[in-house]
Amino acid sequence: MKRLHLLTPRRLTSLAIVAVGAMFVGAVAVTIAKDGGTTPARKKLTGAELYAINCNRCHAERYATERTAAQWKSIMLHMRVRANLPANQAKAILKYLQEDCGN
Amino acid sequence: MRIHSLIFGIVATGCAMAVVLPRSAEAITDEEFRAFQQQTQQEIQQLQDQRKQDQQEIEQLKKKVGDTEQKVDETQKSAVETQKKAEDAQKTATEAAAQVQPVHPVPSEGILATHNFSLVGDAEVQFVKSEGQHSAFLLADYAPIFLYRAGDNVLFEAGFDIGLHNNFDSSGTRQAGSSTSVDLSFATLDYLFNDYVTLVAGDMLLPLGTYSERGAGWLNKIPDDPLPRSVLPGSGIGVQLRGSKAVGDSGQMVTYAIYGANGPSSTNGTGMASALDLDGNVGDTPNWHSDPSAGGRVGWFIPWKAHYDLELGVSGQAGQWDDAGKRLWSATVFDTALHLSPYFEVKGEYIDTWVQTDDIGTFHPWGWWVQAGYKLGALDLDFPMINNVELVARYDTVRDGLGARTERETLGYVYYLTNTLQFEGDYEFLNSSDPTQKNTLILQLSYGF
Repeated sequence: MKRLHLLTPRRLTSLAIVAVGAMFVGAVAVTIAKDGGTTPARKKLTGAELYAINCNRCHAERYATERTAAQWKSIMLHMRVRANLPANQAKAILKYLQEDCGN
Repeated sequence: MRIHSLIFGIVATGCAMAVVLPRSAEAITDEEFRAFQQQTQQEIQQLQDQRKQDQQEIEQLKKKVGDTEQKVDETQKSAVETQKKAEDAQKTATEAAAQVQPVHPVPSEGILATHNFSLVGDAEVQFVKSEGQHSAFLLADYAPIFLYRAGDNVLFEAGFDIGLHNNFDSSGTRQAGSSTSVDLSFATLDYLFNDYVTLVAGDMLLPLGTYSERGAGWLNKIPDDPLPRSVLPGSGIGVQLRGSKAVGDSGQMVTYAIYGANGPSSTNGTGMASALDLDGNVGDTPNWHSDPSAGGRVGWFIPWKAHYDLELGVSGQAGQWDDAGKRLWSATVFDTALHLSPYFEVKGEYIDTWVQTDDIGTFHPWGWWVQAGYKLGALDLDFPMINNVELVARYDTVRDGLGARTERETLGYVYYLTNTLQFEGDYEFLNSSDPTQKNTLILQLSYGF
């Protein structure tokens, strides 16, 4: 009880952060255990796979039907520069978006 | 009796013979028989002749059928050859057309494939309540990005930050009304030389770390910027070469960026610490800035499968910032990002800068931040509202190198109303040498388009 005065708001906050961090780590461990974390087979990645690898790093998935094929061409040029994507990967992602955009 | 029976038998026999035995025909003459025979022979001959004629007709018909089948085969072969000739002609025409340079290209119907204008960007509306202050709604940002593509390898892009602010006079006294601020956050011409080199020229988002390029508006899961980003210039006017090289076929890549930019400068030409201007040198007069700065970033992105990846980067910039060209400003940034499944991410930056001055020697603004996010969709609960929530937390700290320090812990959430419309909320615990920095609640509606 004597040491309760050491629990200043700042330290309580820090403890809260640590506790939340521990919950994150635990949840991650559960997630990885569920997912298996298997190593992918060596094969050329499709446009959809490259999209999942690169685009979801920064933002939620943008559906192909949100834009026209011509608009995707402009946006992918912008994203290729902004995210510094390799040319072949950017082209594969663009092809995937244009094939699935429906217009 | 015997005679009567005999007579009776003879008569009966005669009757029977009359019945059984054919009556003899009336007797025909030889001439009649010969005529009949001749007639029969003639009829037989006619039948034979007819049969012979029928056989000849059958043979002729068979021959005709054969000829017709042969002609059909020849016609089919001819059709195949004609189609091949047509395809060859079309190919030749296409090759010829590719070599022709039209003076005035005729635009196709609808959106042009070679020239295209697009508008993207984001907007944020906030509700803010800081301790000791009234709460308020803010139009935090409206940030349109204009993209104009000319061909396959030329892009002009520009982004703005548009906001509303209360009016103040030059002495800092509140005035009536409000004003709209329009800030050009970046404007560059991007030209893809080849698969590995892109030229970027203009007002560039500087690749010092990754936050300025990838942390805009709706991409940032916490409504405000990490504290130590304030010791770095966010953008700079200059030129840059950037690109990347894929390593294997697993999605791994190495990225680079090298640039020259105006860099930090002095507000009055001196090298006094208070005159440092991180963002202000746009090349206009007065230009109290001796030489441009140079900088760059190298990054390594390692995915081991979709949504499982690690990125490491190191970047830096250096250049003289005073008019005399005697004082160096330099920075180093280490950045990292880790994704473990579609549900968990952690990222951060360590930022170190050094500023040489005329009056206080070299001072050292620095800081670091780390941010984590966990999507509750990983728990796969039977509650859609919970599945759309992401818990976020961040620790950030900054030292200005002159004695001021701020530490902040942020706990918050993102609720994904759609893939691009997010309702965010966080509470920030501030601990600062600046007494005006208070704990703050921020609620934000953020939309990316």
